[in-house]
Amino acid sequence: MAGMSTQDIAHIRNFSIVAHIDHGKSTISDRILELTHTVEERDMASQLLDSMDIERERGITIKSNAVRVMYKADDGETYQFNLIDTPGHVDFTYEVSRSLAACEGAVLVVDATQGVEAQTVSNANLAMNANLDIVPAINKIDLPSAEPDRVRAEIEDELAIPAEDAVCVSGKTGEGIHDLLEAIVFLVSPPTGDADAPLKALILDSYFDEYRGVVATVRVFDGSIKKGDMLTMMQAGQSFLVDGVGVKRPAEVPVDAIGVGEVGFVVTGLKDPGAVHVGDTLTYRDRPCADALPGYREAKPMVYTGIFPIDNKDYENLRDALEKLRVNDPSLVWSPETSVALGFGFRVGFLGLLHMEVVKERLEREFDLDLIATSPSVDYHVYKTDGTMLDVRSPQDLPDVTRIDHIEEPYLAAKVIVPPDYTGAVMQLAIEHRAMMTDMIHLSDKSVEMRFDIPLAELILDFFDQLKSRTKGYASLDYEFSDYRPSELVKLDILLSGDEVDALSFIVHKDKAYPLARGLCDKLKEIIPRQQFEVPIQGAIGNKIIARSTVKAVRKDVLAKCYGGDISRKRKLLEKQKEGKKRMKAIGSVEVPQEAFMAILKVGE
Amino acid sequence: MPIRALYLHIPFCHAKCAYCDFDSSGLRGQALCEAASAYLPQLAERMDAFGARGALESIETVYVGGGTPSVLGAGLVRLVERVRRWCAPSEFTCEANPESFDEGLACALAQAGATRVSLGVQSMVDEELARIGRLHNRDGALSAISAAQAAGLTVSADCMCGLPGQTAASWERTLEGVLGAHPDHVSVYPLTLEEGTPLARQAERDPGAVPDEDFQATCMERARDVLSAAGFERYEVASYARAGRVCRHNIAYWTGVSYLGLGRSAAGMLTGEEFRALADLFPSVALEGADALADDARVRLVQRDDAATTFEGEVLSPRETLAEDLMLGMRMTAGVSEALIARARDLIGVGGVDAAVREALDRGLARWTEEPLPGADARGRRLVPTDEGWLLGNELYGLFWDLAVG
Repeated sequence: MAGMSTQDIAHIRNFSIVAHIDHGKSTISDRILELTHTVEERDMASQLLDSMDIERERGITIKSNAVRVMYKADDGETYQFNLIDTPGHVDFTYEVSRSLAACEGAVLVVDATQGVEAQTVSNANLAMNANLDIVPAINKIDLPSAEPDRVRAEIEDELAIPAEDAVCVSGKTGEGIHDLLEAIVFLVSPPTGDADAPLKALILDSYFDEYRGVVATVRVFDGSIKKGDMLTMMQAGQSFLVDGVGVKRPAEVPVDAIGVGEVGFVVTGLKDPGAVHVGDTLTYRDRPCADALPGYREAKPMVYTGIFPIDNKDYENLRDALEKLRVNDPSLVWSPETSVALGFGFRVGFLGLLHMEVVKERLEREFDLDLIATSPSVDYHVYKTDGTMLDVRSPQDLPDVTRIDHIEEPYLAAKVIVPPDYTGAVMQLAIEHRAMMTDMIHLSDKSVEMRFDIPLAELILDFFDQLKSRTKGYASLDYEFSDYRPSELVKLDILLSGDEVDALSFIVHKDKAYPLARGLCDKLKEIIPRQQFEVPIQGAIGNKIIARSTVKAVRKDVLAKCYGGDISRKRKLLEKQKEGKKRMKAIGSVEVPQEAFMAILKVGE
Repeated sequence: MPIRALYLHIPFCHAKCAYCDFDSSGLRGQALCEAASAYLPQLAERMDAFGARGALESIETVYVGGGTPSVLGAGLVRLVERVRRWCAPSEFTCEANPESFDEGLACALAQAGATRVSLGVQSMVDEELARIGRLHNRDGALSAISAAQAAGLTVSADCMCGLPGQTAASWERTLEGVLGAHPDHVSVYPLTLEEGTPLARQAERDPGAVPDEDFQATCMERARDVLSAAGFERYEVASYARAGRVCRHNIAYWTGVSYLGLGRSAAGMLTGEEFRALADLFPSVALEGADALADDARVRLVQRDDAATTFEGEVLSPRETLAEDLMLGMRMTAGVSEALIARARDLIGVGGVDAAVREALDRGLARWTEEPLPGADARGRRLVPTDEGWLLGNELYGLFWDLAVG
């Protein structure tokens, strides 16, 4: 494939595949790679596009990916398809929007037995918002219970997408995949662009390669990129000499150039993994395009948590592990943090809680660390009485109340698209989360767009999960940073056995402090095991105790019966108990399990 | 040090109790006869093999446990006689359940050389007995105790607290009922919910069905008070005895005395020297480094089949052996001697041992004493469990077992 030439623009189709979970997105992707001989059958590992272990295990896509497929159509012409896989979670909503911006079309997969489901609606909304041509595909028609005609009607009625051309396919048997490829040729618009204009290319994703530096996945809108070009990233302002260009099929293949309308990767040679930003625009350094592509946002961390090794000896290992992870996840940022309760650790910034969970899981699994993550916090602006402003990302950094003039917290402009039946439920949820509705637009009989201003701190906790559950999964959520607004915030402290545990503190709106303190005390009572001494748990604002609960002392813990002198059996029991304690952190004389530090997320469960 | 204690396992009962996960099958009539006539000859043969090697010469205590050995009836009497061919133990206990124990069996056992019976009384409240699947009632328990007494046997009444339906008042009735029958020895076991047992499943479905550990603690403390007022001395976490009536076989388990376990699922403990001399009688046991076994190493073995062809075993290093001695000693009223602690400091290290002792003292689980104690022959200070240490035994034992690893 080396030396593969660029395609004329009329023969290019850039699209992504979107679906409700388990409707068969991955199997259809696999069949497309197979039928176009991109990957031979014997080499197929299921779900080729999701490459990280955790992605496969959780069935979610975290990184974007783009694979080039060559298709010889029934008209005798050969088409270049670029299949762009997108992340599937609200934490990565920005990455999703950039991936969709690189496409002209989307294949919307609907299960022939289940019909239109919640995520079908939310994903279709995302695709239509991005002005993509939609190719409906009704999957699993090999199943006896398949009802393609009913599903076709549902697509028209519930999504307002013309479905007379919907293709019936089976990802399992491969039936209809050929028709699907033909439909993509006819229904998805070819890209438009000027091959001779100054380069304008969108960075969809980037990863770090030890030998080649940062490798960026790009979509070219105007111009072309070849080895030796001197390029500039318009937002970052940095320039680099292109070391090489190529495409994924899905193995990397070098090409002469990435032409107008095409998708491929650019070897930048840049050694700083944080130098390349998703959404940035690439252009020629010496002949730049007039305007950068719209929609760029710096991938700023939204939420910060403390990450501490249970064993303080692992501090250095944790720092090394974070360095290594950042290489492929430039959005990761951290600074050292010290806690009286937990010792030395880091305050780490994440795109969202899922991102946090994934990173923590990778740190524990890939680097064999036992970690404690503390309550998530956003970046508060604390204005002090001396007129200075302090960025506070950890409750511990909050100055004494007497030195605080006021605190501002970050707000988001959030957009929820939902069927009209659920607007009441969404309103209720919004009220509970201190959100204000700013607008409500009837998009169609089937969908309403609701706009809110909502504090980021409310959104990161459980808003998305609650939104999905209260709308039975039908709602889609999109948001962007809006501004900082003054807010009446207080620091809620938790005391165990009368001693404040800094790692359990939390910044909260004053109206929510009481119920939250009560909920947290009750939850901690469930999580902290009974110990030899009674453990009082108290929630306090300043010196004022506002909630309390008590973990009763354990009165009896002994295995008295001894079966015929089988001492080994007794010892094994003691060893098992000890194993359990290893996963706990001694705070003073109290043994506290890891999950206690994230109890805030479980209040109300 | 010769082998001084012998355990024989009888893996049969008339019915399996709801809480039991030990190796025993509930059998009656013909089925029991057939199972026993297949099992007992193998057990006898194995005992003979050890006897022929002189391994039973120094046996001082014997315990036939189960299961329910008394379901064998005359078969149990013959087994006792067979043991007596090889040794003359001064304490010879048979476990028995009231429904299969009468004066005839008691006399025959005494005649054959048994000295003691450990009766599974469990409760003196009929509804509680029924709920755990016992086949006897209060009256049956009382007549079994009288039968044993009439035959001149030392009697232990074994009781359980934390049973389904048990209350503070009903536990009082059990303690009073047991004391009214004048046993020599009482055991008090808090119920353990063993995974996979009918009772554990019931508790999973309905957590309120089984009293919690707080209730067990209350029962254990009440038993301590009532029994000591009646002249029983606690010598082990679960065992109380009138003067001179402690179970020496039981004490052997906690004091590092070598014991042989024969029969399926029976556990034994030998020194390295003893094991080497008898290694051919444990044909397929995977013991790492068994050839180079130090004389004073400790070997623990469990027989895994009827025919004694497979065993599980582990070798404890000198360090592990000492840690185990400390851990087991803390189950006893006599605790551990300063001399044993001094040996541990030499072998394990002063820092670790002193830290464990300090933590036990600081947490109120143990205390030093120079009072004379039952079962403690050596003079000098001893580290002994406190009341808290009895109830939170796992915490206390864990502190010392942790010394096994550096």
